[in-house]
Amino acid sequence: MLNEWLMSFALWLDTHSWSTQLHESYYMYPWIESFHVLTIMIFLGMLCVIDLRMLGVAFVKVPASKIAERLDMPMMIGFVLMVVSGFVLFYAIPVRFTNSIWFRMKVILLIAAGINAFLFRAKMQASTDSWDKDRKPPRRIRVGAGMSLALWSGVVVTGRTIAYDWYDCHRQLSYFMYWVAGCVNELAALDNG
Amino acid sequence: MDVLFFFEWLDTSLLADISKAYGGVFAMIQMFHLLALALLGGMVLVADLRLLGVLLKDVPSEVVCESTNKWFNLALVVLILSGVFMGSAVAMKIYYNEMYWAKMTALAAGIVFVYAIRRPLLRFDHSTINPWTIRLVAVSSITIWFTVAACGRWIGFS
Repeated sequence: MLNEWLMSFALWLDTHSWSTQLHESYYMYPWIESFHVLTIMIFLGMLCVIDLRMLGVAFVKVPASKIAERLDMPMMIGFVLMVVSGFVLFYAIPVRFTNSIWFRMKVILLIAAGINAFLFRAKMQASTDSWDKDRKPPRRIRVGAGMSLALWSGVVVTGRTIAYDWYDCHRQLSYFMYWVAGCVNELAALDNG
Repeated sequence: MDVLFFFEWLDTSLLADISKAYGGVFAMIQMFHLLALALLGGMVLVADLRLLGVLLKDVPSEVVCESTNKWFNLALVVLILSGVFMGSAVAMKIYYNEMYWAKMTALAAGIVFVYAIRRPLLRFDHSTINPWTIRLVAVSSITIWFTVAACGRWIGFS
């Protein structure tokens, strides 16, 4: 059901002439993709600095809350640039991305990273006063920072592996894998065959 | 000096046997390359934006720059090691690729810039350095490292 809905949405996007033009452009798509990768340096770069401070291994001379507050703005700027360029990339190749298990895993990891960030921020703001100047923040904060780095690493690796066609719909896959990738035509063929 | 022999050696090395045969291993190593890129980008931006007076204005710029050095070194080492591994999978391709040599040129310039110019200069009390020199150093640093990264991505397109 969800697979069919996602597929019809992707097919609808695919009918847009802008989508086709972007996909087939000689330079525009590589430029946007390079931009998307370089935003890693801004968004994930700032995130690394904040998380490493929260792990108690970097910038230990600076209060933790100061690092978190002051780097929040540049991090969010990087995040917005990353998300916008990411949507454009999806718009250019909607059907293949919708049918990519890597892209699907990436979206799930992004949601998990978002939830973790939300909980982490709440935990941090509730208790910063008591440990702000400590070199090493309390355990629950360090766990949150470690989770954040692990989840974003997952986002990076699944994002990169979208480029591989190991589990694309045109491959010979099991019924389960077709379902996971949302290959609705191949699933229908198996159901009728 | 022709370095073709190095690429010919790399192309048939044990590293190349692994990187060519196992796409999954290649992808994992590439993840480390990208994460180290994030780490390097974060350290470069935090230090340089502090030098430009954009970020963390109430923390002494000496403290900010000094805190980033160790992590910059770590990121650079991971980037180079994972980069050699990735290069081994396509050694002969990159030897004849202009974008690869553009990246190596920018990388060499970046390494010289960081260890021979930026760090020795910033070891002095920053208030004794001409503010325009500091701004120039910061802008050069951001430009160089984003150029290296962009050339790196573009190797794949060219």
